[in-house]
Amino acid sequence: MLSQRDAAEMRANLQEAVVKCSERCLYQSAKWAAELLTSLSTTEDSIEPEDSQMTEVPAAAVPPIVVTGNVDPEEAQLEAKEINQYLLAKSFFDCREFDRCAAVFLPDTVLSGILSTAATKNPNASAPQGKGKSRGSAARTSTALVATPKLSQKSLFLALYAKFMSGEKKKDEDSEMVMGPHDGGNAINKQLNVISRFLETWFLEHTNENGSVDGSQGWLEYLYGMVLAKDKNEAQAMHWLLKSVHLYQMNWSCWLEMASLIGRMEDLQQLGQRVPAHIFGFIFNIHTSLELYQSGPDLSARLDQLLSIFPTSPFILTCVALLAYHTKDFVTADAHFSNLLALHPHRLDSLDHYSNILYVMNLRPKLSFLAHLCSAVDKFRPESCVVIGNYYSLLSSHEKAVQYFRRALTLDRSCLSAWTLMGHEYVELKNTHAAIESYRRAVDVNRRDYRAWYGLGQTYEVLEMHAYALWYYKRAAGLRPWDGKMWMAVGSCLQKMGRDLEGIKALKRALQADSYYDAGVGSSFGSGGRERAAIMDPEILLQIAGMYERLEDEAEARSYMEMCVAQEEGAAENLDSSVINIHADSQSSEDDSRPQGGGDTGSGTGVTAATSKARMWLAKHAMRTGDYNRAMQLATELCQDGVEVEEAKALVREVRVRQEADGL
Amino acid sequence: MTRFLTPAKIGLLALIELYTDAVVPSSSTIPILSFIINQLLPCAYKAQPREPKSLQTLPFILDLESFEALLTSHPAAGGLPGRSLWDHFLRKLWEIDSLDALHEFFATRGNLLARNREEIKKDGELGIPPPSDDMILLSRTSPLGSFIRRAKVEYERLRFSDTLSLWVAFVEWREESRTYWAKRNGGLERWAGDRVLAEGQEEWGLEATEMLEHITYGALSTENSNQGGISTDDVEKLLEFQVEQMQKLGNRIPHEVKEQFKAVLEKNIIIPSLSHYLNFLDAWRAGDYPTSFDNLHRYFDYTMQNRDRLFYQYALMNLAVLQADFGCFDEAVAAMLETVSTARENKDMACLNFALNWLYHFGKAHPKIMKGTDSTNILGVEREGLAFLRIKAKETGMWTLWSSSLLSEAKLGMSNGESVATAFENILKSSQLIVEKNMKSMMGPQMAMHSSLWGRLGVAHLSRQYCDIFLTCHARYALFDDTLRFTTRVAHLLAERGRYDEAMEKLEGLDENSLRTWKSNQYWLKYRGILRLKRDLHRNNLSGADHLLSQLTQCNSSDTDTDLAYETNTLHIDYLIRRTNYGQALAKIEQMASEMKEEGDDLNLRIKLLTMKALLQDKAGRPQKGFSIAVRAASIAWRARLIPALWGAMGAIANILTSLSEFQASSQILVAIIPRALEYENCTLNAQLYSFLVDAYMGLAGQAESGSPTRKENLTRCLQFIDQAFDEYSTVEDIKGQCEIMAKKATIMRVVGDNVLANDYASAYLDLKKGLSVGA
Repeated sequence: MLSQRDAAEMRANLQEAVVKCSERCLYQSAKWAAELLTSLSTTEDSIEPEDSQMTEVPAAAVPPIVVTGNVDPEEAQLEAKEINQYLLAKSFFDCREFDRCAAVFLPDTVLSGILSTAATKNPNASAPQGKGKSRGSAARTSTALVATPKLSQKSLFLALYAKFMSGEKKKDEDSEMVMGPHDGGNAINKQLNVISRFLETWFLEHTNENGSVDGSQGWLEYLYGMVLAKDKNEAQAMHWLLKSVHLYQMNWSCWLEMASLIGRMEDLQQLGQRVPAHIFGFIFNIHTSLELYQSGPDLSARLDQLLSIFPTSPFILTCVALLAYHTKDFVTADAHFSNLLALHPHRLDSLDHYSNILYVMNLRPKLSFLAHLCSAVDKFRPESCVVIGNYYSLLSSHEKAVQYFRRALTLDRSCLSAWTLMGHEYVELKNTHAAIESYRRAVDVNRRDYRAWYGLGQTYEVLEMHAYALWYYKRAAGLRPWDGKMWMAVGSCLQKMGRDLEGIKALKRALQADSYYDAGVGSSFGSGGRERAAIMDPEILLQIAGMYERLEDEAEARSYMEMCVAQEEGAAENLDSSVINIHADSQSSEDDSRPQGGGDTGSGTGVTAATSKARMWLAKHAMRTGDYNRAMQLATELCQDGVEVEEAKALVREVRVRQEADGL
Repeated sequence: MTRFLTPAKIGLLALIELYTDAVVPSSSTIPILSFIINQLLPCAYKAQPREPKSLQTLPFILDLESFEALLTSHPAAGGLPGRSLWDHFLRKLWEIDSLDALHEFFATRGNLLARNREEIKKDGELGIPPPSDDMILLSRTSPLGSFIRRAKVEYERLRFSDTLSLWVAFVEWREESRTYWAKRNGGLERWAGDRVLAEGQEEWGLEATEMLEHITYGALSTENSNQGGISTDDVEKLLEFQVEQMQKLGNRIPHEVKEQFKAVLEKNIIIPSLSHYLNFLDAWRAGDYPTSFDNLHRYFDYTMQNRDRLFYQYALMNLAVLQADFGCFDEAVAAMLETVSTARENKDMACLNFALNWLYHFGKAHPKIMKGTDSTNILGVEREGLAFLRIKAKETGMWTLWSSSLLSEAKLGMSNGESVATAFENILKSSQLIVEKNMKSMMGPQMAMHSSLWGRLGVAHLSRQYCDIFLTCHARYALFDDTLRFTTRVAHLLAERGRYDEAMEKLEGLDENSLRTWKSNQYWLKYRGILRLKRDLHRNNLSGADHLLSQLTQCNSSDTDTDLAYETNTLHIDYLIRRTNYGQALAKIEQMASEMKEEGDDLNLRIKLLTMKALLQDKAGRPQKGFSIAVRAASIAWRARLIPALWGAMGAIANILTSLSEFQASSQILVAIIPRALEYENCTLNAQLYSFLVDAYMGLAGQAESGSPTRKENLTRCLQFIDQAFDEYSTVEDIKGQCEIMAKKATIMRVVGDNVLANDYASAYLDLKKGLSVGA
């Protein structure tokens, strides 16, 4: 039997051991020590009178270095009292024994007791639309009967967060294989309900008369917000997250959680006033803008500002690179990422984006090197798997690519890019059902992923379900209204459905978007419009012309055909036409490949299939209208270009015959 | 570690491409192709190399040096003058400058193959012109073609991490040639061989690039492990070869090879199950019963998954052989009987026949155990069983079994004392079969049969010759066990002629590594013991002999070789006789005789035993009592044409006749047989016969009147033969025999009346006796 002093000494030693082991990430040994620590018989707690704790405990029982202190004296005292349990729970959490961790502070019996009373006494607890009045009344009824255990907020947070994690783990386990029979994306975290009810009760208890929570430090609000967000209760979630952010600004996950709730730029702007003015808020703003595929000088200026504060921050460097990526400036993006790679060679985060860039640029050796690097650092990271998958996709080994994307998803089901990319691979493999499912899951994970929407549209287009395709294309176009490719897809889809007028509109929009886009890059904003200095995609022009023809608007058709032919000759005629052809062909590449390269104004496209077709049409049109000279000229041009020579020659002959006939 | 691909195989692929590029001049085609083929074909199909040296020239894992050695000497047919094929080859290797290039390399391998019709059609659709006729294209089914296709498929199925390890291993493998390649190219950049790093350096700076290199190629710079240098395919090949060698030669793995094996097997994660079999063989050979048992089970546990129950009978068979080797005969028989039934069930004739053959031989060796199990009717009566086996072997084309059953039949005939002609016929049949089917492994038993047949016929030098032929010509391809048997046989023959040192030398000269095999080692040790025992007995070093005997008889339990056991027993009897412990000697003889009767042992041994008994009676001073025995021995020996045994028996009869004062008859017999007996070159027998002859002439001299010329004549004959006898005894260093002769000689001299000489001989006798007592 230990004397009291020995016991105290032993306890102190054990506490120190737990902290030291856990500091060195020796989680198992920390756990072991913590188990031992809490198993020491705690006699003095019962012996010592309640009031003596105020003076004695902080001095004797708490090792000074163990944990961060708390400014709130009440909380600090609670924390000090719970220190042993806290250490135990923490080490359980470190060892990923979540349920056990939660049970340290909130044994299931306690939890179920609270919940059952909360459920019966608060019938409206599950419907939290009423905030002000009903909350107050409910609080009064519940506090009268059940008290939540008196715990420090830290311990409470840990316990509930452990509960949440355990639920997530179970959810993943229940889903079994990626895209297997049980993986419908509808598995839910069964603990969410429990946590939200508990937190609701807790907040009710602690809300004072004027509606603010006493002594709350923001963490529990964050957890509540997150749980609500998972429950798709987004307005509420945002409310609580904002609360949390106001209470404690430095919690980046809270900001991230908020970012994931923002679906469009307007929301962000609305939110702008409500977030606290803090550097994190600033970063959050930039991050969310990037997530929403924003680009522009404003954003890059803000990023530069940040970069001057944190010159080597990998996160901000990534943002810079992503910005370049979103503006389709792949060379710059590549350079940024490459630089990032040199600065932080062991960092795998967001290298999947880099692999996308390399994929689009078709830099196979570099992509292979990246895959090598990722695999060498950690081959069981979702990012690594995505990079490898991308590499295989570039090698056209689509089965293997799918395999690696699946692996990425097994590691992390919320890995957005993997879902989308897997969808692309399934399209390549002509497995449309799987492709649709993958895209769908991608969209479910993140509704802002225009590539998944676009992919869905594409897949339905392949299946010739144009109405569906149109819907999805529209979603994609809504996310990227300045991206011509989206509009072009919408336009062609409409064309196929025979809605030519709308189609023409959409395609014109595409033309406009392209030039807007070019102008945007050239940083002279607003110079877009119909009188474009940039060249336009002859394909689109041809399509528009075709539709006008079908609408029997000959004049418009002709003018667009002329325009199309005119694209051949920009200011400088020397652009390699083959490049454009390749780009135009690879429409299924994971990212949209834009016909125009750098966006320099004034260079023509040269002869392409589209312009030749247009020329042929014009020649025939000239024939019909009897403008034989023009027809002759166009046909000979066709012969010179070496496209559809036979038809052109026939045309020439016919023109001669007609001319002779006229001459006669 | 990959399944198939290694850097060396990439090198081979590059070499094949070099060949198809037509830069190989026609004069160098043959060495290069044979180099490639040597690597590709399984060793079983390779012809035996003309000189054994060329086998060692190539290492198991091809390194760059072997490529270099091959290629530098050949100039290239095209390109810059002064460039050898080695330069072209290196260019190919160094052109693979990124993981992607490696992929490209494998992807383009298909271009080396001849197109089939569909591909031509597809190419035509895509607008690719068919390859011109003067290109070297490889047929898809040729060794090179199939290698290329296999390599392609194997590369396809590699996981990414495996591809990576292949790439890293390749980079490392290639590193050796960096200095040469740099010299040739006027200096190389730091990052040659990885394009991305080279390009990235400008962007990242040296330090960051080095950091990245360190992460990607990590192990390359720090430690020199050749992970990925070997593939499972290579290891499997190696294991197969090793198992084959072990089964063929019956050796254990030499220490240094074992170390290397360990190193190889440690590296890869997929251990081929064959390695367990290898461990089993080694442990078995080492006499480590539990380990071998464990490993055998492990091997079959692992193979069971792939092949179902199909190979159950083989597992059982191995088990049975193993059990028998460790002296667990009952278990062995049970296992083998189950093998028989399983093999019958599965209609696996080969296995069935083998099992039956084994059972037959086992039954011969351990009749008691076979009697215990009620399995005698499996093969019916011995001879029928053999005939059955022979016919079955013929039907199923198991040549080894066929020839061994023929040899068994010959042996059976011989040990039963049947017609020598039939035995010869069987041996010849088997010989023809062996030569026809080139069964090198059967050469041992064949030669042994020949040798022992000639030995039984009393032509010692022919017998010896066969042994020598085997040892010089066939030992290389045969089981070590056979080599050991033959060596002991030669040693035995040498010892019979008193050349102990030579015999010992023969035994000592055996391969040390092979002697690590537990069974062989036991046999070898025992035989050495027997040799030394024999010599000790002859030198009358009885206490030393006693020591050796006690050791030898101790391990004379049922699991030792019957021949050895017999030898030990006879020596034991000899020892008892020399101790003049006749009663025990007789008891021992009786015991042996009864055992033999029970087991139906070799006739030859039985006759020898009978003769020994007759001579023992003579030693005990009652030679007449042995008469009937001696006569029986002689008659049996005559019938069975066991010539040496016949002479021994006849000698015993002559001795008895002498004791009956039938000196004339005795001398006549001896004079008739001695020349033939000399052919057999057994000194002890010769000495004995001469000494009997001396006795007979002495008797004749005694019958003649004193002083008569007949007496004198007989006495001079006596002297002549007594010298012969003395010489014979001296050669085998039998001091006791020498003493006896010397005493006789002194007596004769006294009878002749030459007292001085008699005195001399007497003192010589005393000297010998002294030596004897000193020895004792």
